[in-house]
Amino acid sequence: MLATLITAVVDGLEGALVRVEVDVAPGLPVTQIVGLPDAALSEARERVRGAIRNTGYAYPQGRVTVNLAPAGRRKHGAAYDVAIAVGIMVASGEVVASGGDWALLGELSLTGEIHPVAGVLPMVHTLRRAGARRVGVPAANAAEASLVDGIEVVPLAGLDDAARLVAGPRGRRAARARRAPPVAVSGVLRDTAASDAPLVREDARVDLVEVHGQAAARWALEIALAGGHSLLLVGPPGAGKTLLARTIPGLLPPLDEREALEVTVVASVAGLLGPGDGLRRARPFRAPHHTASYAALVGGGPRLAPGEVSLAHEGVLFLDELAEFDRDVLEALRQPLEEGSVVIARAQGAVRFPAEVQLVAAMNPCPCGYFGDLERPCTCRPGEPERYVRRVSGALLDRLDLRVEMPRIRPADLLLGPEPEGTAAVAPRIAEARVRASRRNDGRLNARLSGRETVERCRLSSDGRELLATVAARRSLSARGIHRVLRVARTIADLACRDVVTPGDLLAAADLRDPAAPETAGLAA
Amino acid sequence: MLGVGPLGPLGPARAPVPVGGAPITGTDGRPERPAGPVRGEPPSTVPGAGGGPGGGTGAGRGRRASRGPRDLAEERQAWVVLATVEGVGERTLQGLIATHGSARRALWLAAGGRLGRRLAAEADRRAVPLAARTVAAIEQVARDPGAALASLRDSNVWTVTLLDPDYPARLDGLAGPPPVLFGQGDPAVLHAPAMVAIVGTRRASPAGRFEASRAAATLVAGGVVVVSGLAVGIDGAAHAASVEGGGTTVAVIGSGHRRPGPRAHAGLVRRILERGAVIGELPPMARATHGTYPRRNRLIAALADAVVVIEAPVRSGALITARLAMEQGVPVYAAAGIGTSPLAAGCRALLSECTARPFDGIAALSADLGWSGPAASRPTDPAAPAADEAVAGGPLGGPERDVAAILAGGPATFDDVLARTGGAPGEVAAVLTLLQLRGLVRSVGPLYLPAGRLLVEPP
Repeated sequence: MLATLITAVVDGLEGALVRVEVDVAPGLPVTQIVGLPDAALSEARERVRGAIRNTGYAYPQGRVTVNLAPAGRRKHGAAYDVAIAVGIMVASGEVVASGGDWALLGELSLTGEIHPVAGVLPMVHTLRRAGARRVGVPAANAAEASLVDGIEVVPLAGLDDAARLVAGPRGRRAARARRAPPVAVSGVLRDTAASDAPLVREDARVDLVEVHGQAAARWALEIALAGGHSLLLVGPPGAGKTLLARTIPGLLPPLDEREALEVTVVASVAGLLGPGDGLRRARPFRAPHHTASYAALVGGGPRLAPGEVSLAHEGVLFLDELAEFDRDVLEALRQPLEEGSVVIARAQGAVRFPAEVQLVAAMNPCPCGYFGDLERPCTCRPGEPERYVRRVSGALLDRLDLRVEMPRIRPADLLLGPEPEGTAAVAPRIAEARVRASRRNDGRLNARLSGRETVERCRLSSDGRELLATVAARRSLSARGIHRVLRVARTIADLACRDVVTPGDLLAAADLRDPAAPETAGLAA
Repeated sequence: MLGVGPLGPLGPARAPVPVGGAPITGTDGRPERPAGPVRGEPPSTVPGAGGGPGGGTGAGRGRRASRGPRDLAEERQAWVVLATVEGVGERTLQGLIATHGSARRALWLAAGGRLGRRLAAEADRRAVPLAARTVAAIEQVARDPGAALASLRDSNVWTVTLLDPDYPARLDGLAGPPPVLFGQGDPAVLHAPAMVAIVGTRRASPAGRFEASRAAATLVAGGVVVVSGLAVGIDGAAHAASVEGGGTTVAVIGSGHRRPGPRAHAGLVRRILERGAVIGELPPMARATHGTYPRRNRLIAALADAVVVIEAPVRSGALITARLAMEQGVPVYAAAGIGTSPLAAGCRALLSECTARPFDGIAALSADLGWSGPAASRPTDPAAPAADEAVAGGPLGGPERDVAAILAGGPATFDDVLARTGGAPGEVAAVLTLLQLRGLVRSVGPLYLPAGRLLVEPP
């Protein structure tokens, strides 16, 4: 007997339909899965057999052939388990399908429980477009699946639920006796993924009030977040670079509807949505370690997973110890930073992941970390600090808008300084400036303005133009450098709720250094 | 050679005259300087006049050098030619003259391949034979001395020898003054009435660079010529602040002029040469070696009326300069440095041993040295310091003056300035940019430092 079901697969950020065909025929008891399965999928045979038997159904005695169509598409993962199991049950007559526009997603355990899978959101979206009316998804994925309108989401806890969905109210279920519940040798454990208090929080947020001193860096961060400008923090160990970066999640305004959906899709495909997680509202803040590989940062790998740069889409990608990152990996970041997306080409076609990120990076000024410290001697050899900075690709430095130097923090700043402003005071200013900018720039932040738009949107008085010319001449600014100063000045004006960019804004913007400018320029001394 | 003159070994006054001509000597055992018109002004070499002894007659046996200006010019030229040979330094040149009677004769012998490796013994040294390599190099140069002179001219390098009347008198105090000085820029600055050396570590902290800049700016503002060694760190800061202050500075290099100092200082060298000079005792193509820098240091010490040591760790070339200066009777000053920084340990040692006086600005130094008022006419270069007036011109506004006053006291971070002015970050940043555009402030890492006029006087 033959049974055909619909399920889906994730390809990049899009879902693609997969038809599961199951044929049960007389013969030797062999189960075979065909249609370019990967190892995890080939092992589905054993999971499915165990799940069916342990749920109380009979596994067919004959020859079982499972075909996944289209046969030419490589398939991976365990999301087909439920569809295959139900297909076998229907084909062997254990369950009578009532017909209807339903589809199934989920991974099986030997007990017959259904576990969550990655990418449910785009898969459900695809199934709905293909005409499915009802979709059975793992219960833990139900929240994300229900973000798709126009399709009924049926949460599935076990294979029994799936059978009930397929059979419908009028369908006949095999009346076999349910087997004894599994003996839990090691006691009953809750699934750790389901526990709501993780041992290690993903991002330990820091309130800005905890950052003492570092007025220049706090100010630069406020500008960077308000305008979407990328930022490079340079300072010795202990200056508070990482601490400052950890305040970013709290300072960023929440995502709007469109952004939230995109961010949630990426998180879904990456399997980062926890049980019950619905729409992501918080802007992502990703801080990959400097040992991150090319695929981890940019995306790719055998399963074409999104990289950190895509996981930080519409949020902040924080690269701590920038100079320690592999040079080639950083080079690979250039395209995503320029185009706002990553294209990963494969023999079977290219996949595009979104990557509209704001880059924040931190690094020491030199290998020993104390170059430029007023009192503590730098123990690097002459010329070594320059070489250290040059390890970071110039092309990447060119993509950074602001550079701020953070001095070593002195005990007096910690103990005697005034109480600094906290997140609660700064975040609203950032949010308001972003609203002003996006209203003026058709929904974009200042950092995303093109050169021509920059000049248009930053109308300067004649004083201002003269001043900008002087600054440009003194600093030997390129056209890119002039636009950079203008964009930053525009953001400073936005933060001050001014429509006009004043000469003061320009001067203040010019004090934030160009990351690509050599540190020792004009420093023969 | 059996004896050495009291002031320098170059004049073999009491030596038995070996075969060959007698050297040109003065009564005090030093080479006599002709009183004629000044020779040795750049370009100092007489083209095409090289070669062996003038009118060389056979072996020149028993022929004494005549003392006419023409012979002197030729002898001088022979000194220069020999000095361009790699491996011929002060001692070898002196040995060659002592052995063969004159540089001209040595060169003439070499051209014929009859120079030989033997050098006459001196009283205090064993007679070290010339290296075969050196002899070969001398012979090669001797065959075409014009090429060596042309190469000097091409490098735009002038020379001044001990035979010249304008050899810097300040180097007279040296035991073993370089017979030939190579230089670029203005040779007259070597005769400046007031010269002070600023030396220190190559691994300078920003505080040390600032101290060096302030010392140099103050000194040049008082008309003093600043002498240093063109190394990175303190040396570079001193030279840079001197040229930026519109002053004159002399860089004494330990290599040839083709590679004067670190590559990062190429621009600085150009600025130095606008008003000052870069000098050394090595020919243009010579490379710096382990021993050339300490030898360079004795020239720095000798040229200066005083040596200021800023940031010297316990083992450093700057301390060698200080020791050499003390041996030559040149007063040494030391800047104490900040706190307990190991960078300044050498300075503190100098101070605690009371071998150096604390450096406390130009006024105290002038009083010590007996200078009255500005040591020389104040160099008012209309082009150099006035550039900062171009931006927004005029006097500083209120907030700018406040920030400038803070920075005139020394380097400060953004937080320091912010805390002391009490302004908003954006306003302070704008003021700091304005001061940078005016050339009164520069930023290094997280620090803002005074520059230009602000180094010398508060706003």
